[in-house]
Amino acid sequence: MGSSADTQVFLRSVRLFRNVEGPELGILADSLRERSLKRGQVLLREGDTGDEMFLVRSGSLVISKAVTGRVEQVLARVGPGDFFGEMALFDRSPRSATISADDDAVLLVLDRATLAKLTEVSPRAAAAFFESLVLIFIERLRASGDLVAEVTRWGLEATGLDVETR
Amino acid sequence: MSDGSTAPPRRARLELLVRREDEGDGFDVRQIGSGVAFIQSRPARVPAGSFELAEVASKVDGQRSFILKNTATDRFLLLSDHEKFLWEQMNGQTSLQDIATAYMLRYGEFDFEIIPHLIRKLQRAQLLTMTPTSRLRQALARNRRKPVAKMAESALFALERVNISSRNVQPFFRGIYRWGGFLIFTRAAAVACVLLAIVGFAAGVRLWPDAERVVSGFGKSPLMAVISVKLLFLLTVGAHQLVHGLALIHYGRRVREFGFTFLHGFVPTFYVDVTDIFMGSRRARVVTAVSGALVHLVLGSAWLLIALRAPMGSFLQAFAAASGMIQWQAFVVALYPFCFIEMDGYHVLVDVLGIPTLKHDAMAYTGSLLRGRASRRFTRQEALFVGYVLVSTASVIAFIAFNVWLIVHAF
Repeated sequence: MGSSADTQVFLRSVRLFRNVEGPELGILADSLRERSLKRGQVLLREGDTGDEMFLVRSGSLVISKAVTGRVEQVLARVGPGDFFGEMALFDRSPRSATISADDDAVLLVLDRATLAKLTEVSPRAAAAFFESLVLIFIERLRASGDLVAEVTRWGLEATGLDVETR
Repeated sequence: MSDGSTAPPRRARLELLVRREDEGDGFDVRQIGSGVAFIQSRPARVPAGSFELAEVASKVDGQRSFILKNTATDRFLLLSDHEKFLWEQMNGQTSLQDIATAYMLRYGEFDFEIIPHLIRKLQRAQLLTMTPTSRLRQALARNRRKPVAKMAESALFALERVNISSRNVQPFFRGIYRWGGFLIFTRAAAVACVLLAIVGFAAGVRLWPDAERVVSGFGKSPLMAVISVKLLFLLTVGAHQLVHGLALIHYGRRVREFGFTFLHGFVPTFYVDVTDIFMGSRRARVVTAVSGALVHLVLGSAWLLIALRAPMGSFLQAFAAASGMIQWQAFVVALYPFCFIEMDGYHVLVDVLGIPTLKHDAMAYTGSLLRGRASRRFTRQEALFVGYVLVSTASVIAFIAFNVWLIVHAF
């Protein structure tokens, strides 16, 4: 398990915390829990409840959504410095996707209480965090649109369906 | 510097995560290209009562064409002779890859746009549905709640995933051909093969009267002996496929793939992709088909000779005789076209007749005849269909009866 100083160094390299100052990073580093996953292990499943988001410290994970039977659509892969699970942190809804370790992985867990503490101690740091979060949300929204288009194109190509002249 | 041309758009790919069954959290991630899904799809035309097909002969150029009508929507399509052939293949069981192969065999040419173009046309007229899996798999999926069906489905799924193959086998086959494989395709090899077959057959005839004493060599564990004979036979199936591949090299064609898999999820087999031979002459296709089966003739004869020379009632004699018998049966089954199995002999027959869908058409016609929906005044082709089904049925019954008789008398 990494020390608080190591965690702080890691957080500094994470895009989400790019604009958060050193002292606030120290508070965060002290509050984050570390969690390890073995290759193939499922961290959380679509439909689970939870109020935590996760930062990937090492390893890689697959974010997927159930399609049929044992088959799931891969939505994204995340690696060191990436994060996921933030939606449940805000809207308290069930998890929208399943997260599985594609490789041995180490995660840092950020829960709602820690975020509330950061907001209370340093509104400026919290604002910087939320601004980065929104920018990354926008990127992901665009990527989701691209994925929908790719899946649609796949369906048209795989079935030979011609919708232009229907 | 750009040459001004535009590269074709990349085919879409889906990334799917497939959970392993009974393995806790294990999973595999697979990338499926839309092109692969397309050629493996099995287009199915609408049921028989939902369409009508009428022939129209042009009085100008004598060309045949067909009017296809969707009786539910009153939409009409004009099909060429080639398109009608493709339409008849779209039975929900034949993949687009197999349909393309049948087309190639029938017409000796292939237009890569004809199938997608026809599919688009049929879909617009609502004359087609797309079925992605076999009927067996659909039935198992429907009954997944029953433990037996679930187990069978899981087993088929697991076995289907066993596929050890390589697409980069051309240098391997070329190497074998260069280092002696070419000898198989010489006149001397053909003469040696015939002589060995005659001698082997004579050995079998001489052993036949002592069959009971010969198989007594298996002792008290005949089942284990039969299993070991079968396993050894499986390896010779690999040799059979290898010779098919060498035949392709002999005719200057390309071996696209060689590997091992479980056919339909439960039949262990080696396979070789010989589709490039369709671009060769009919002689090349026939030699490619026949040469693989000759492996069983040669090995069967060799085993029977060993059995003849081995001490009477010994394990070696029983093993050699059983192996010889099974190899000869494999040779006959591979080359005998009338057994409902599309093996080498069947492919030669359909190539010679020019009816690549003989089995399918014959079964469909005979079925309609038995249901009283077809005229009893046969055309030549319809008589051929009925003859194929009758001879095949009689052959299968005779084959099963022979094996039952053999087992009853042996054990």
